[in-house]
Amino acid sequence: MGVTKIVEIPVVTTEVPVGPQHPALHEPLLLKVYAEGEEVVKVEVNTGYNHRGIEKLCERNTFYRDIFVVGRVCGICNAVHANCYVRALEQLLDLHPNKRAQYLRVLAMELERVHSHMLINAVMAEIVGFETLFMQIMLDRERVMKAKEILTGGRVLADYMMVGGVRRDIDEEKRQRIRELLLKLKPRVEYYRKVFEEDETIVKRLEGVGRISYSEATSHSLVGPTARGSGVKIDSRVSDKYDAYGEIPFNLVTRSEGDSWARMMVRWDEALESIEMNIYILEHLPSDGNPVPDERRLPRRFPPGEAYTRVEAQRGELTYYVMSDGKGQNPYRVKIRTPSFNNIINSAFMYIGYSLADVPVMLTSLDPCISCMERVTVIDLEKNTRYRLDLKQLAGGKL
Amino acid sequence: MKRPRLLGLVLKNLVSKPATIQYPRVKTPVEPDFRGVQYADLGKCTGCSLCAIECPADAIKMTPIPPEYEVPKTNPRRIYPLINYGKCVFCYRCVKVCPTNAYIATNKYDIAGVSRLTSEAFSLTTLRRVGS
Repeated sequence: MGVTKIVEIPVVTTEVPVGPQHPALHEPLLLKVYAEGEEVVKVEVNTGYNHRGIEKLCERNTFYRDIFVVGRVCGICNAVHANCYVRALEQLLDLHPNKRAQYLRVLAMELERVHSHMLINAVMAEIVGFETLFMQIMLDRERVMKAKEILTGGRVLADYMMVGGVRRDIDEEKRQRIRELLLKLKPRVEYYRKVFEEDETIVKRLEGVGRISYSEATSHSLVGPTARGSGVKIDSRVSDKYDAYGEIPFNLVTRSEGDSWARMMVRWDEALESIEMNIYILEHLPSDGNPVPDERRLPRRFPPGEAYTRVEAQRGELTYYVMSDGKGQNPYRVKIRTPSFNNIINSAFMYIGYSLADVPVMLTSLDPCISCMERVTVIDLEKNTRYRLDLKQLAGGKL
Repeated sequence: MKRPRLLGLVLKNLVSKPATIQYPRVKTPVEPDFRGVQYADLGKCTGCSLCAIECPADAIKMTPIPPEYEVPKTNPRRIYPLINYGKCVFCYRCVKVCPTNAYIATNKYDIAGVSRLTSEAFSLTTLRRVGS
């Protein structure tokens, strides 16, 4: 029986909202995914569900109160946020903390990097379908949280940075305890890295999914492990050598594959590097004076000036711009640019051509931190409207 | 490709003790210098209000001390910092900026509940009642 008539069914693009509640991660972000059949043809990134007006809040508070305000921009990267802001204040005041304080700052930030990378790898295991692996990684992550609690006094929120140093010193007993915790953690991280490298299901699910080439990563200004997974050698720790990073040996981890699997492997390798760095710091901690400044005697007045600092947060380059007009005790302007802002908003091109089921995996592999990036919604009080600006307009284009 | 390496771990965990802590019945172990509930020792507090000015969360309100308490002469205005633990972010800025080191830092962390939501009960126990 031959074909008598061919009827063409027009392909209709289906709009699938991924989020804003729980889009793979427990954070509010809306991905409007347009699909033809199973294939993704277009993705719109819709943000603004978590805007809290932190930058305006910084202008209304004093320089010192802001140290704790910026620590609350994002829970999982609070030490790097505070470090970046505190270094901006130190630039304004022309203060230089001593070596011990710089080493302790790096220790706090690297502990944070270990637990952040372990968290996103655990979430990735959950997305892939390995709930047991998720729980195992989270259980071992508790060791880092304990180390951070010993060092800073808080499991998550460190509140560890202060102008001119850190807020707590460590003694010999604490040093040994943190070292032991890290030495116990290291084989576990090596084991999980091996699981991600060798397990058939994980590799099949992640390999070749969400490929970003070197030129795409640079042209879309992606930062952090997302760019390093595509072979881009970008790391502020290496290029700036701020705090004690110039003296602590570590390797810049890059991979050439550029897919979701490469990004997760970069994170495991970096977690291992961070553990090594922490053990090095604990063994070579200099003792050139007291790292804890007296918070009552810090300068109250800030000279007029501007400071622009950057740190390598867990998700990439984080920059702070702080402006002081020298008149009051409040900063005139604090501008925060977080790595997730670049990585999430600029990466809509990545999803195209893959199937709908790959979207959560690709989103997770970018390690989005939504509460970091929500600072672009404009609220017009006169007209009582809210609207968002794109990057071109934010950079000085017409409103 | 090798065989999955997770199976041994799963089997080991089937026979080992659970890692979960039954929190309200079993206390979570915390460090002695964990940043927990803090309150002012009113024997030392001078009522200078610096902690209330410096608090990033505006959780501290300077409050008059009730007349039935004996207040040291160093506190002529008879006011003390009342911390609202619902607002407090436990950054310990108040502990560090206090000029008389009047703050008592504890590692108490289980503050969820309906009573003791402020530092009133903690702080006033550091004072003697009139006539006692």
